Amino acid sequence: MNHPIPNDQVSRRGFFQLTLGWLAAGFAVAASSAAAVRFLVPNVLFEPSQQFKAGRPDDYPDGSVTFLEQERVFIVRQGNTFRVLSSTCTHLGCTVNRAERGYHCPCHGSVFDDQGNVKSGPAPRSLDWFSVSLSKDNRLLVDKSQRVKSDNYLVL
Amino acid sequence: MNAPLPKRIWQWFAQTRVGRSIFRVGLPQSNLERAQAMVSSFLLHVQPAKVSRHALRPATTFGLGLISLYLFFILIGTGVLLMFYYVPSTDHAYDVMKDLQFVVSAGLVVRNMHRWAAHLMVLFVMLHLCRVFYTAAYKPPREFNWLVGVGLFLLTLGLSFTGYLLPWDQLAFWAITVGTSIAGYAPLIGQKLQYLLLGGHIVGQESLTRFYALHVIVLPAIAVLMISVHLWRVRKDGGLARPDEPGDEVQQIKLGQLPTNKSYGLMELARGTTPQVGKDPGDEVFSWPNLIFRELLLGLAVVAVVLFLAIFWNAPLEELANPIHPPNPAKAPWYFLGLQELVSYSAFWGGVVVPGVLVVALALLPYLDRRREGVGRWFARERTVATSIFTFCLIVAVVLTIIGSVFRGPNWSWQVPWRQPSAVVEEH
Repeated sequence: MNHPIPNDQVSRRGFFQLTLGWLAAGFAVAASSAAAVRFLVPNVLFEPSQQFKAGRPDDYPDGSVTFLEQERVFIVRQGNTFRVLSSTCTHLGCTVNRAERGYHCPCHGSVFDDQGNVKSGPAPRSLDWFSVSLSKDNRLLVDKSQRVKSDNYLVL
Repeated sequence: MNAPLPKRIWQWFAQTRVGRSIFRVGLPQSNLERAQAMVSSFLLHVQPAKVSRHALRPATTFGLGLISLYLFFILIGTGVLLMFYYVPSTDHAYDVMKDLQFVVSAGLVVRNMHRWAAHLMVLFVMLHLCRVFYTAAYKPPREFNWLVGVGLFLLTLGLSFTGYLLPWDQLAFWAITVGTSIAGYAPLIGQKLQYLLLGGHIVGQESLTRFYALHVIVLPAIAVLMISVHLWRVRKDGGLARPDEPGDEVQQIKLGQLPTNKSYGLMELARGTTPQVGKDPGDEVFSWPNLIFRELLLGLAVVAVVLFLAIFWNAPLEELANPIHPPNPAKAPWYFLGLQELVSYSAFWGGVVVPGVLVVALALLPYLDRRREGVGRWFARERTVATSIFTFCLIVAVVLTIIGSVFRGPNWSWQVPWRQPSAVVEEH
């Protein structure tokens, strides 16, 4: 600084120094924060597969509701139609229990009817129905990543 | 030489070359040395050399903040011990709990101490918050320290919540399932936050690893830093909040108005309430021994109470975590049961909106409440409105917590606690 600059004025060089400095610091903070957050988002999940085979259709008697513990779903058979109902409460993720009629959540008291619709309690929406199809080797193939409407049947 | 033996040993040691190199000041004999003892010691210099009698009175603070601090120390001590055995693995974590109970010497007591100290810390941090509110100790110049305190309150809850998962029993698994699902209801970022926190869609190994890292290093490190700032600010903001006394009015002397028959030092031109001109600081006493020994005594009492609880009551441990069968009813930790009761009406309103608004209101309190009256006095009459609003919220929170704790039975339906609970029928 050969020429003294008054205190309330910024020299051209000072301006560029200040701007570049703050830009560099801001960029460094933003980039490393973004990288850190991205680092924490898992790329691979070691969770059970969303798609699974649920045995032969004949394993499930007519008119039965069968709970599959590992997959946390109910297999609902009526006549020759099959549907798969999620047992995960839409409220806060507890596992609902099969009641005489419908399903009860033990955590916060939500009650669902046989169609998975909310009858009472805090659940914001009905239980999910999952897509079910028949695999080539004649097994029920459930895909929990595919949600379907409650009137969506697999007819055999 | 009638002094008791420990004192004589101490006096002898303080005189030796080694003793003098460590302590500089021996056992204080004069007022000068009492002041020096505080200033020249690393551990003691955090506190002032002299302290007002008001601050020493038990009813001023009931020592609630200090008790919280002692509980935090106990938690660090027992927590580090537990780390020598704990494995953050869904296959081993629960076994370690059993080992602590049946194999490790004093393992159960250490775990119990950690658990009870954690519950007590949540309780005492809340009580401390109430004390600061009711004595209006958040008013200028202490606004920022209140904000730090609110942060520490949330941090305490976070520490307790992350620790809750680590035993990997039924209680842990379902409390965290419910708790993180509440986070999932937060607008916009909720789902992402839940995913990030759990490291997946369900509570599993990744969640345990993450909660472990948060519990043993991330949150404690932030807590140590913020506690340091909190304590430092207490001193920088002029010590404990004190009621105004006659003669405490701000002296503002304009230079032109100075009487000419008196000479003034710089100090006498200072603004503010602290160094008062011509006022005898007669209500102050030396921190050594008046403050220090009271504090040590309180510390002893806290350790004694935690040890007593730990010896006679075991920390809960249910069966191994089972993602298939939630216990009925599945309950969050007690301090979240008020929240869970709200959530049983509506997850979004009860779990996100109400607590969100309350936390923001708490944080902004010193900036919203701009009246200056009542500082340092319990339930000051000038603050009836503020006191009433706070008390109302407090009572609602306590009532909700009690309902959630004892009046909610299987399927979260009403139960009367003093009657035999109806048998839980497993329905499938």
